[in-house]
Amino acid sequence: MNPILTVRHLTTTFATEQGIARAVDDVSFQLYQGETLGIVGESGSGKTVTALSLLRLIDRPGRISVESVVEYQGNDLMRLSPRALREIRGAEIAMVFQEPTTSLNPVLTVGTQITETLRAHQIASGRTARDRAVDLLNLVGLPDPQKRIGDYPHQLSGGMQQRVLIAIALSCSPRVLIADEPTTALDVTIQAQILELLLDLKQRLGMSMILITHDLGIVAGVTDRVAVMYGGQLVEQSPMRALFREPAHPYTGALMRSVPRLDRLVERLNTIPGAVPPAHAWPTGCRFHPRCPHAWDQCQSEMPTLTPTGPEHSVRCWLTDEPERRRT
Amino acid sequence: MTDQVGPLLVVKDLTKEYRSTGALFAKPTCVRAVDGVSFTVQRGECLGLVGESGSGKTTLGRCILRLTEPTSGKVVFDDVDLLALKAKPLRALRRRMQLVFQDPFGSLNPRMTVGTAVREPLEVHRIARGSDARRKVANLFGEVGLDPTYVDRYPHELSGGQRQRVGIARALSVEPEFVVLDEPVSALDVSVQAQVLNLLADLRERHGLTYLFIAHDLAVVRHIADRVVVMYLGRLMELAAAANTYQEPMHPYTTSLLSAVPVPDPDRQRERIILGGDVPNPRTPPPGCPFHPRCPHPKKNERCHSEVPELHEVQPDHWVACHHADSVFTLQTGR
Repeated sequence: MNPILTVRHLTTTFATEQGIARAVDDVSFQLYQGETLGIVGESGSGKTVTALSLLRLIDRPGRISVESVVEYQGNDLMRLSPRALREIRGAEIAMVFQEPTTSLNPVLTVGTQITETLRAHQIASGRTARDRAVDLLNLVGLPDPQKRIGDYPHQLSGGMQQRVLIAIALSCSPRVLIADEPTTALDVTIQAQILELLLDLKQRLGMSMILITHDLGIVAGVTDRVAVMYGGQLVEQSPMRALFREPAHPYTGALMRSVPRLDRLVERLNTIPGAVPPAHAWPTGCRFHPRCPHAWDQCQSEMPTLTPTGPEHSVRCWLTDEPERRRT
Repeated sequence: MTDQVGPLLVVKDLTKEYRSTGALFAKPTCVRAVDGVSFTVQRGECLGLVGESGSGKTTLGRCILRLTEPTSGKVVFDDVDLLALKAKPLRALRRRMQLVFQDPFGSLNPRMTVGTAVREPLEVHRIARGSDARRKVANLFGEVGLDPTYVDRYPHELSGGQRQRVGIARALSVEPEFVVLDEPVSALDVSVQAQVLNLLADLRERHGLTYLFIAHDLAVVRHIADRVVVMYLGRLMELAAAANTYQEPMHPYTTSLLSAVPVPDPDRQRERIILGGDVPNPRTPPPGCPFHPRCPHPKKNERCHSEVPELHEVQPDHWVACHHADSVFTLQTGR
């Protein structure tokens, strides 16, 4: 399999009053042609900043460090001229955000917002752009697109707004789609519609997809591979099935056990003590060590590296060196 | 409390309408956020209330506490008709029923320390003052798992999970019997959500509390509730013991809703019913069964379009509002 996107040493920092926050810290991964890669983590783990950094959508006081590399089609997106980057962003690599309501412009019609993208990337204009917009709305399953194209965002439900955003993202037939919590703001029946739509479109259009989510159910239902983030770092990377079968990082396992499930009733939920630390105050050593049941002194003083443990599987944990320390 | 029999709460035909006059010459519209809802809550039980956005679940919770004035119907709390009460006796009764909100940040005064926020209800209800109140607050903090030194902090200095613990401590300060929990964990991260759910379970056991637990997350409700009510467009669709609702749902809406929940296990991916369309606009609800435009039931017929199905007891303690509840349609499970 060929990678379509290769990310190396991606680091994004924010200057805050409390100090420098390393929101994304030395993140490296590849996205293969045609796959869906899930990036999982809780809020504050750095998954959204990772997505935004890939397309250099980071504003001051945020800064992407110079060692960061994002290779796409032989180019390093981090070093492209703003103009060359604009041609790729939205056209070849598109993004869908979490909050459809805030991502759409409230004073422009749905049609205008789709044709805008088509015109900006010189794909179509005028009548053809309008026709293409109708086709796109049809593709994403918006009922009555001829009429809806003249609607303003507030006239649409949340699910329909998200379909419009997906239509905009697909307008230039991107090769990579980055979806950041695309269904989090939606009801569960609508979420099922949107996920089905994304999967179907991915297959039909031959896209590769990065899906960012906190929901392990979505990960299990949609992705091929998973990258787990904690404290701005990747802590585990694995093919999806292997991750659920045998989560290697204590955080991954604890997260899986703390979710209430429809298919398994437990008397008491497992908890992870404490909360995700803020990005300006990551703990020393392993960033998960204050919440980890297995931690020993080495975890406190030395940061483990992301180490390969099997085919396509890597873990950032000292337990890989000393598995006998794992407590059951 | 063991000597008392009968339900703690009886809700009967509760309806809440919102009227809007709209523009000057426009026809006034009427939205029925809650439409003829009846159920009971037994002492010590946790009744889960699930529904999607716009189902009326929050309005129902507020009407029960009379924080929103219902249009018609009855709410009887421990044999007292709540809707007939005047302001003063209502205030006295409110001490026994409390509400925990979804967003603890939005419901806590940003300029008040969290200690004061928890102490305030004690003083309002003249339960304790001065050093006595301070001691009570410290105890409450301990009870909800907050460091008692946090009393002098402001809400913005706490994490989401800690703020929700403050919200819970505040509700518990007046020693209520009944607590309405409106999406108490949906703003929290999974790892913190589990902590708060366990805390709520402990508190219920320790104080013999009765909960109305409102949530959109079906897995969370399954975990905590004894019985479950499913709402759609202001009406009850199904009411049964949690095990029955989840294992043998009888309303096609419940079945669809459950099948849409992603299961975090790649080997247990189920056949999904993907419901078409959106929840209809409550301003213009469909005639007949409110769910009929999206209903996947193969026996859907003319009657569903014209006649509103009443909630009726299909099996002992299993209530369903569907004309075809007798012919349960089941999903093929597994792939």
